[in-house]
Amino acid sequence: MYRYDAYDKAMLTDRSNEFRHQVARRLAGEITEDQFKPLRLMNGLYLQLHAYMLRVAIPYGTLSTRQLRRLAWVAKTYDKGYGHFTTRTNLQLHWIKLRDAPDVMDALAEVDLHAIQTSGNCIRNVTADPYAGATADEVDDPRVWAEVIRQWSTFHPEFSYLPRKFKIAVTASAKDRTAARSYDIGLQLRRGRDGALGFEVMVGGGQGRSPFLAKTVRESLPAGWLLSYLEAIIRVYNRHGRRDNIHKARIKILVNSLGVEEFTRQVEAEWAKIDSATSDLPDTELARIRGAFHPNTFQTLPPVSHAFEAALADPDFARFARRNVHPHKIPGYAIVDVSLKAPGQTPGDCSSEQMEAIADLADQYSFGEVRVNYTQNLVLPHVKLDDLPALHAALKAVDLASANIDLITDIIACPGLDYCSLANARAIPVAQAIAQRFADPERAEAIGELKVKISGCINACGHHHLGNIGILGVDKKGEEFYQISLGGSGDNDATLAEILGPAVHFSKVPDAVETLVDTYLSQRQGGERFLDTLRRTGLTPFKEALYADAD
Amino acid sequence: MKVLTANSLTTGEVVFWSRGRWALDFSDGERFADDAVADAALAAAESQPRVVVAPYLIDVEEAAGHWIPVSYRERIRALGPTNTPQHGKQADGHADVQALAAATSAARSSGRVKLIKR
Repeated sequence: MYRYDAYDKAMLTDRSNEFRHQVARRLAGEITEDQFKPLRLMNGLYLQLHAYMLRVAIPYGTLSTRQLRRLAWVAKTYDKGYGHFTTRTNLQLHWIKLRDAPDVMDALAEVDLHAIQTSGNCIRNVTADPYAGATADEVDDPRVWAEVIRQWSTFHPEFSYLPRKFKIAVTASAKDRTAARSYDIGLQLRRGRDGALGFEVMVGGGQGRSPFLAKTVRESLPAGWLLSYLEAIIRVYNRHGRRDNIHKARIKILVNSLGVEEFTRQVEAEWAKIDSATSDLPDTELARIRGAFHPNTFQTLPPVSHAFEAALADPDFARFARRNVHPHKIPGYAIVDVSLKAPGQTPGDCSSEQMEAIADLADQYSFGEVRVNYTQNLVLPHVKLDDLPALHAALKAVDLASANIDLITDIIACPGLDYCSLANARAIPVAQAIAQRFADPERAEAIGELKVKISGCINACGHHHLGNIGILGVDKKGEEFYQISLGGSGDNDATLAEILGPAVHFSKVPDAVETLVDTYLSQRQGGERFLDTLRRTGLTPFKEALYADAD
Repeated sequence: MKVLTANSLTTGEVVFWSRGRWALDFSDGERFADDAVADAALAAAESQPRVVVAPYLIDVEEAAGHWIPVSYRERIRALGPTNTPQHGKQADGHADVQALAAATSAARSSGRVKLIKR
């Protein structure tokens, strides 16, 4: 993976020192809270309900085991011994003290971690396919391009004060595992007939109060022109994005008010003015970055592992193999999803002990690499099939062997009203209640793929617009109610969920989900997933079943 | 009745005004029957920017012999996150904590007085 060079390290050290002085000045009363707040936010430090929250950037969701161990140590030393992985592949620490924050920043900087651009109206942490470098269906390693964007966007002088925050996702696989259409810019790398790499450039996606799927402004942008084209898009946005109304400030509003044709015309006109020689990355620099992601030294192994096949006699292991193990580009290896969704646990939470255990397992079995998936799970990208039984047993010992990837218990949930000062309702206890209702792994597997996503407010950090079942917490006269939507998807067939009907009370959400599941099972044909059945039948049978008693 | 709350500057912890000092437990917070007295306390708190961040008044009500915040959000602040009972002020489990956790009356979201949406 990419190692920070002397420039990167100097930047982090300077930033950390600068932050230490800013905190000291705030504590000494030399600057006011109004002056300090934007400074701490630029360093990812929010004040939430119970404490300060630090959002640590995990660039394109890639962690070394050294970094993961340091996160475990920081969580144990300065927090309550756990961290929360988010839908932006970052790690949030929910109990940080301001007086400790400079020491935390120093500890993170020592292992090339930081919280730069995890808040504010700038280009945020770039996300990428969590299976990058491991999946057979990619045309290139998207981390190379994500790293290019990271370097380009870090402290970008022109784009540090955009109308609103700006998020970019990169994938190079046919199967989108980044929810690219829900990003301000989604980049899908493909290889053309001539063998050249080109990006499909999708602009103007986003969830929140006004959800939109990104629209394609370029079917195939030659990869070498990526930075100049990003510059053109963001310059048009920076110039015309609305700064007068925070609810209309995202690029999705600009794209949809201008129309994609006019927006594209303006971007192309802007792009024509940019000198590629000064804006695009020189080939030598691209080669340098690419070199940092050189392939691991994989062994030549037979495609079939006898140890793996024999272990399938254990039903728990067989289920784990069906749900959490995915094909690798190299014969004899596999990609392993580590679920942070044991039924009853807080989705995305990982204790320091678990982080340390995963780091040890990654060193032992996965070339020291760990990935964060936006689904709030982790990935060990390069595991030998022969090692899977031992890995499964070791994960089981630390309660990380839940075989539920993409099942009804693999729920995305934002921190919600339990932690977040923006939330209207809780999200975590709703996720816990649903997961416990469907905790029987056989039942969950019989139901099949069903993505439940829960947000505690309209800002949609829990991706409810993209849930097969999307659940949004609302405050109804001081009580927690939940609006249920159906049919969303963040995959290649990206779709926004449709609201089903009136919101249901907190205590009724698991029953409501069970009714929707029963309706699906009664309507299901053949091997249909929940989403397939819903798309065939439409909302009506689900609506009738859910609101039958209400009439 | 009102109670004055804020977050500690240095730790971020939820604190409650108690006769010129800041208490960590909601049950130790001073209750104001008189709005003018409450506003004076708020003004005093606002003059302590090196001690607390964003002080504000909340509505509280009596339920089963205990005082509780009207707003559900404020009950969570007074207790800690509901998904981890071992974290936050609820961890000590004393009688006032139990009363707060058991409160079921409809919680108005307007429990934060003079709420400015940010």
